[in-house]
Amino acid sequence: MRHVFCLWCAAGFLTVGLWAQAPQNPALAGAATALPIPDTNPFTSESDVRAGEALFQTHCSYCHGSFGEGGRGADLTAGVYRHGGRDPELYASVRNGIPGTEMAPVRVSDDEVWRMVAFVKGLGSRGLLEKAPGDAAAGRLVYQKSGCASCHRVESDGGNLGPDLTDIGRRRGLKFLTESLLTPEANIAVAYRAVQLVLKSGQTVTGMRLNRDDLSIQLRDSRDNLRSFLMQNVEEVRYDKPSLMPAYASMNSKDLENVIAYLHSLKGAL
Amino acid sequence: MRSTRVGACAVVACLLTAASWTLSGQSQPVTYERLLKADQEPGNWLMYSGTYSGWRFSRLNQITTQNVKNLRVKWLFQGRHIEKFETTPLVVDGIMYLTRPENAIYALDALTGRQLWTYEYRNPERTYNCCGKNNRGLAILGTTLFMNTLDMHVIAVDAKSGRELWKTEMFDHAQAGGYAATGAPLVVKDKVIVGMAGGERGVSGFLDAYDAKTGKHAWRFNTIPQPGEPNFGTWAGDSWKTGGASTWNTGSYDPDTNTLFWGTSNPWPDYNDDLRAGDNLYSCAVLALDPDTGKLKWHYQFTPHDLHDWDATQNPILVDTEFMGQVRKVLAWPNRNGFFYLVDRTNGKFLSAKAFVKQTWNDGFDFENNGRPKLVPGNDPTPEGNDKVWPGIDGGANWMSHSYSPLTKLLYVFAREERRVYTRNAIQHPTTDPAATPLAPNAGPAGGRVRGGYDDCLVVGIDCGKRLAAFAPEESYGKAIAIDPATGATKWEHRVLSPPWGGLMSTAGNLVFGGTIEGVIFALNATTGERLWTFSSNGPVYGTAISYLADGKQLVSIPAGDLIVTFALD
Repeated sequence: MRHVFCLWCAAGFLTVGLWAQAPQNPALAGAATALPIPDTNPFTSESDVRAGEALFQTHCSYCHGSFGEGGRGADLTAGVYRHGGRDPELYASVRNGIPGTEMAPVRVSDDEVWRMVAFVKGLGSRGLLEKAPGDAAAGRLVYQKSGCASCHRVESDGGNLGPDLTDIGRRRGLKFLTESLLTPEANIAVAYRAVQLVLKSGQTVTGMRLNRDDLSIQLRDSRDNLRSFLMQNVEEVRYDKPSLMPAYASMNSKDLENVIAYLHSLKGAL
Repeated sequence: MRSTRVGACAVVACLLTAASWTLSGQSQPVTYERLLKADQEPGNWLMYSGTYSGWRFSRLNQITTQNVKNLRVKWLFQGRHIEKFETTPLVVDGIMYLTRPENAIYALDALTGRQLWTYEYRNPERTYNCCGKNNRGLAILGTTLFMNTLDMHVIAVDAKSGRELWKTEMFDHAQAGGYAATGAPLVVKDKVIVGMAGGERGVSGFLDAYDAKTGKHAWRFNTIPQPGEPNFGTWAGDSWKTGGASTWNTGSYDPDTNTLFWGTSNPWPDYNDDLRAGDNLYSCAVLALDPDTGKLKWHYQFTPHDLHDWDATQNPILVDTEFMGQVRKVLAWPNRNGFFYLVDRTNGKFLSAKAFVKQTWNDGFDFENNGRPKLVPGNDPTPEGNDKVWPGIDGGANWMSHSYSPLTKLLYVFAREERRVYTRNAIQHPTTDPAATPLAPNAGPAGGRVRGGYDDCLVVGIDCGKRLAAFAPEESYGKAIAIDPATGATKWEHRVLSPPWGGLMSTAGNLVFGGTIEGVIFALNATTGERLWTFSSNGPVYGTAISYLADGKQLVSIPAGDLIVTFALD
């Protein structure tokens, strides 16, 4: 439900943003931005930062956490940014979103984007807020023993079925990681939502939906095969089991703590 | 490749049935053995030219001269970019892989055109492509796709997920202002063979091989001999350092002799030879190389000391054909200089050459000197502009694919009839003239930007405005022709309005598919040249068709503008 709610919110922002800001920001209307992005943030006063915080709470905190601690979105407190930490790079990430990720463009005015950048940079100077209590080395063994790599990849090792975990410790907070292990269905990225196809032949195929229109559906099946089906051969498309990942609620608490510490230690290439 | 393999169309019927599972997309790794036998799985399109022999021939025969009139659009894929597609898609077990001009890779359901994943490579803002931000396609080995990039990298991407596996820089792309890579790689055994472009920018050409698993550099063949290497003395002074001779299209491979064939581009400066006296080896030539080591076996230079930008970067076509009463293993080569060549591919011996477009520069070939062309005076570029030269700068044939049908035993060429104004401008050579403009990335190497014509016309020694001057329309046209390789004789000709930039594909349905610069996609009778079917895509065709099976049915895909258009029978 949270996911659905979020989509509706985003749609609302988009609509309001387009209406309110189009004259000021041609990028919102699909035209190219004419002016070059300044090298330094022109909006860094205390009042700008406060305004940026308010905007952050409205547009960003749902994914990045109220304090920038991360969750569905990246932890912003580390002061390290995969897509660049310079003012114009942060501006571009907020303004345009980050292609290939869940980070969508934020539909506010250019000035407001700069105020958000001012606030986010302040978050980054605080250093990592979270410390995982478990033992990451022991957690790595739990990860290997539990077969996580059959679906998840860390650097070059592992499968494609689940999200790449190479830098999951930078992109997700502890709370989110814990929730993902105990109740995976609570928060699933759109790209990893599972579907079940009941074919007219009686066969059932489960996988992650890659694409769909009225005529066909494409998915990555549970054996990591890319597959496509004409809808005329499909009896039913079911979304009622949205996660292919098993819940690890029965894992003993020490192993759980350790594997979370391991995941938290995965920061990727900075 | 060999004519003995040709009659294998009997296998087609059973393959059609066997391949009907492809919609499920449960692809098997594309092993080297599969690549060797690519002609035995016509439901797929496993490499740039279809097979190692460079035929661009499909053994599928569901679409025939009788039913081609019922061909309809099955799906479109919209690239949504400004540059036109030049890509040749690959199709592997129901999945189509193709490149976008600026180095993205798409994986599509080959039956519906629906997208499965996208890989986006980010080039730097400035790249040094001569003629648009193009890319012509991919190679595959196992479950890994390989692509060259405009900034001179080779990229390996997982075919299942679109995940980047390795990235290796071939060369600093800004050097000499500079280098780019646009052609489709070719996989031979465990190596990825990749060429590079930059013949209009004073580069020093080479052909590279990389380990397919790791991306580690395996070998480099310098297409301009370096000091101490054979044929080093074919360039005056220091001109060898910036002599061009790039390798920007894709080669072919003969497994019987373990020989890789690859064509090279023009020498630089293109139209002014003041400082590069000599044959300028190995420009405008075909190289026969050992694919394991990169060692040269032999070469044949089609146009020694070229002054007209007549690259020999056509895709080599390997056929076994009767010549003077004997079956010979030949390279059949419609060259940019307007001649169709037969060269013995086992030793580089020149066999014959015959013009397939109007030409003014050649007065025969010296058989005592392995087919060295005899030149007609008065064809060199001049300061005021020489407008009496045929063929034009873009040649009688260019990079577009030609096709060979083992059924008709004819070679199909989409030829260009035109002339242009060849202008010789004063130049400053960067390696010999101290006053010359340095090889700065944003300046023409000697002479600066030339006005008129192409937006990115940094060509030295040519006035692009004059180059594009209008001639009488009837002097300039395109023609799909069928050549008998044994004799070089043209069997039929099908004219189109303008000189083309797309290539031709022939099929076992006795058809030849192609498309014009105005966007008319057509099918011709392969035996007679009669036009049997057309479709107006209204997007310029800068690529060549492929054919494959999806859900057991034959489809034909061809790029047109920023579309991939895919056809099937009603």
